[in-house]
Amino acid sequence: MPQPQVYFLRLLLFVFLQAFIFNMLEISPLIHIMITPLYIFLLPFDRSVISLLVIALILGLGVDAASNTFGLHTSALLLVSYLRPFVFRVFSPRDGYDPIKTPSIFDMGNRWFISTFSILLIIHHLWFFILEAFSFNEAILVLEKTILSSLISFVVCVILQTIFIKRT
Amino acid sequence: MQNLIAFIRRLRFLIVFLLFQFFVLSLYVTYMSTPRSSYFTTASFISGSLFEIRHSISQHFQLEENNEHLQKENIDLRKSSSLFLYNTRHSALHAADTIYDQQYDYIAGTIINSTTTKRNNFFTINIGGIQGVEKGMGVFSSNGVVGIIHNTSEHFSVVKSVLTKNINIDVLLTEVGASGMLKWDGKDPNVGNITGISNDIDIPNGCKVITRGGSGIFPKGIDVGFVKGVKTIEGEASWHIDISFSQSYASLENIYIVKNLFLNEFNKIQN
Repeated sequence: MPQPQVYFLRLLLFVFLQAFIFNMLEISPLIHIMITPLYIFLLPFDRSVISLLVIALILGLGVDAASNTFGLHTSALLLVSYLRPFVFRVFSPRDGYDPIKTPSIFDMGNRWFISTFSILLIIHHLWFFILEAFSFNEAILVLEKTILSSLISFVVCVILQTIFIKRT
Repeated sequence: MQNLIAFIRRLRFLIVFLLFQFFVLSLYVTYMSTPRSSYFTTASFISGSLFEIRHSISQHFQLEENNEHLQKENIDLRKSSSLFLYNTRHSALHAADTIYDQQYDYIAGTIINSTTTKRNNFFTINIGGIQGVEKGMGVFSSNGVVGIIHNTSEHFSVVKSVLTKNINIDVLLTEVGASGMLKWDGKDPNVGNITGISNDIDIPNGCKVITRGGSGIFPKGIDVGFVKGVKTIEGEASWHIDISFSQSYASLENIYIVKNLFLNEFNKIQN
């Protein structure tokens, strides 16, 4: 399991990547790559919900302050942190989670990672785009955005793990 | 008893979650409508300074294009300036001008950070309260309207651009004389919408759209774009008008801020 300072440096890295790279990447109005849910997801299994929520607040406000979203990222991250234990419980292995392992694609395997992370990622993106649009008239646009963006975000998150996370 | 404790423990998480969510959402709602401080925006000192550094590197990529725009604008200004016109009635022009009084003051600035594909796009500019920028002033470029100042700090300001959900700038269709509200549907950063124009007015394609100047933020006559297509809305007596913006916001850099010197008077008489 990585040391606490690794998590701290990773927090700074994620804020930087999200605010200054992925929020600036202007591919199309339908594609908004968001990688911050990966940070929440990769926190150790034994973290309590309260600490997840506090970390989500810090991470989210950091990103929001640098990209004029006034709390949108934070709100979506809070939802992800709150729902993470529920999703983990549903997909837990037969004899529970090994506390030495981390929830990364290398430790837990492709199948587990794809099912759990994609659920949380889609919830995150859907919540984000619904709040951003704030009206029912744009439901179709919100759905299009959610599907396209979460697909691409997922691929980016897998690539990020292969770059920044040590295989154990 | 065990179950009850477990239940309360789970509820404790929910309470903390809802508390945080409430805090964040109230932040979002207040900042979207009327921001009170600049802490959580790019007008804050840390974000603003970071974007200034980034801009100092990236500005060179668009130097040529921006120079061309400024040159073109200078030529237009020279054409209309009295210094470069032949004076046919010397005595009349030398009299103190009592017909025209200066109504608008302009402050030049540079965009140091912008997005164009989000649902609500805000631009950060490198001037702020020290230069006299205030909340609610209009922002335009040599090609067209840009937005309204949303928030200012000492050295930076955040502009709510026309690529935002509820920008509601009042615009005028020059050839037909009808006026409506400018909106953006979030799909294409080059296409805007106008609502509130009755569908018994015929609107030709390519009709020029300018600001109306009805709210005292913009002077009348700043370019907005051209009508691209007109559609009917089912069950409503107004057109859904698509316009293509005359300014492409992705490559925008040099902007002007308008200060209406008569704004107080204007607001007083309107209320």
